[in-house]
Amino acid sequence: MNKLGYALRRNPAAAVGLVALAAWVVLALVGPSVLRFSHTAMDMESQLSAPGLNGHALGTDALGRDILSRIVYGSRSILSVALLTSLFSSVAGVALGFSAGYFGGKIDAAFMRFLDILMAIPPLVLSMVVLGALGDSSVGALTLIVSIAYTPATARVARSALLSCKSLEYVDAARLRGESHAYIMFVEILPNAIGPILVEVTARFAYSIMMIASLGFLGVGLQPPTPDWGMMVIENKTVIREAPWAVLYPSLAIASLVIAVSLISDFLAKALIHDE
Amino acid sequence: MASLVLKKLGGMALTLVAMSLVIFMLVELIPGDAAQRILGQSATPEAVASLREAMGLDDPALARYARWAGGVLRGDLGESAYMRGVRIADIFWRRVGASITLAAASFLIFVPLSIVFGVLAGIRAGKLSDSIISFFGLATMALPEFVSGILLMALFSVRLKLLPIASMIPMGESLWQNLEILVLPALSVTFVMFGYVSRMQRSAMIGVMKSDYVRAAVLKGLPRRRVIFRHALKNALLPTVTVIGMNMGWLFGGLIVVETLFGYPGLGSLTLSAVKTLDLPLIEACVLFITAVYVISTTATDLLYGFLNPRIRFSGGAYE
Repeated sequence: MNKLGYALRRNPAAAVGLVALAAWVVLALVGPSVLRFSHTAMDMESQLSAPGLNGHALGTDALGRDILSRIVYGSRSILSVALLTSLFSSVAGVALGFSAGYFGGKIDAAFMRFLDILMAIPPLVLSMVVLGALGDSSVGALTLIVSIAYTPATARVARSALLSCKSLEYVDAARLRGESHAYIMFVEILPNAIGPILVEVTARFAYSIMMIASLGFLGVGLQPPTPDWGMMVIENKTVIREAPWAVLYPSLAIASLVIAVSLISDFLAKALIHDE
Repeated sequence: MASLVLKKLGGMALTLVAMSLVIFMLVELIPGDAAQRILGQSATPEAVASLREAMGLDDPALARYARWAGGVLRGDLGESAYMRGVRIADIFWRRVGASITLAAASFLIFVPLSIVFGVLAGIRAGKLSDSIISFFGLATMALPEFVSGILLMALFSVRLKLLPIASMIPMGESLWQNLEILVLPALSVTFVMFGYVSRMQRSAMIGVMKSDYVRAAVLKGLPRRRVIFRHALKNALLPTVTVIGMNMGWLFGGLIVVETLFGYPGLGSLTLSAVKTLDLPLIEACVLFITAVYVISTTATDLLYGFLNPRIRFSGGAYE
């Protein structure tokens, strides 16, 4: 941990990312209780009002809804769904990738072949088709589908993390002690292979934010009345000339959040993988 | 080498067949009756039953797969379920052509750009210019395509009024008469790809500059410029070629977002409208094409890598 703190001081970009992410989390947690406007109320008096007018700090959209409120509420859904998908896909990836890599041989070969096939369908295309076909983009469905779409990639990372320390002495020692396979995989190997996996979880978090925003943009993500940043962009694209703020602020929200998480994951990759 | 090529091509064919099965099964899982969907909720059960019969929906799944796959091999992608009477092949390839043009335009911008800046960052590693390029690469890579697209649109179309806001082709005109519509979509793709490729190029360059043979060349007293261009660059380009090839399939997936943002009439926007209208045969055709691009470009990259790397070319293909 000390090492991380030292590295963080030497990497100001990562510190900026950490502060930005913390700011978004705080905003998502306490923001809604201090907002002046509801995120769904349509103010018919002030449609497309510019930032600062009529008390709307970031302006309103074509329906007169407050952009700031929608962004703050949107941060809740995107942060929670992205966090869940990155955790679920990583847990599933570790379970599958570890089993394949640990047992090796034919199981592993068949598994890798299967992953190759699944990875040929881009995750965005897979999620879009399945969500569109289901016609259900509830938080649960979205989380489940995106997690599944990301699992082949996380399984690959987990597998190679396991392979890098599978043949070490402490693994043989545990085997001679007669420990179970599950014990060796998750108690002996996992803590030693945690670096690349942690990096993968944070990178996956960034990817998930991009994916959920993109799905919202394509109209197959979270459905109204849940405000979604990607959806806000496509909804207001037609008024980009009259009210550029209505698309720019949600875009900047996405940009700041993903860049913040990417800076952190980049930093973790440098600190946990490349140094060792 | 020849046996290696055959092996790779055989593996590719097998993957494509497995792919088509996965896609077929995926579409099979879509709930609801395809015939009912075409005829609408008000259709009589008899009408639905006779359409099911005509479409062969009552046949076993394997027979339907065989019929579909056989059709695809003959170039027959079937009939659209949403636009009645439209053969998919009649609209499909024009859209694919438009997407390939867009991909090629992006390619022409991002490949030289990211290689030049990646090399620059690599040979100046740790300096200010490297930090700026690296941060820019990370930031652009982190932006979803529609965010960079919106930012470009707000700047070039709304503020500067230089480029069209939508990338539609006017009726009766061809893409070639409207090349300016390609610029913003291609730049949006460039934003994302620049991050991946320049970062890869940077780290490859750093690795090569530290290698013994480059240090030997420097110690021999060769001018730095000559060492970089004659000795280092050639080897540092190898990983970049791989990352570009591996990302071609990804690029086609990303086009869905870019084409939707700009209303560009390519394969991506066709895929989205197929999903929105639940046009199953069209979904199958689009997804199969996108995955085929991925599989073929991955195999081609693999082969190209082997060809470019003499250690593999002469060892008879024992590489992994």
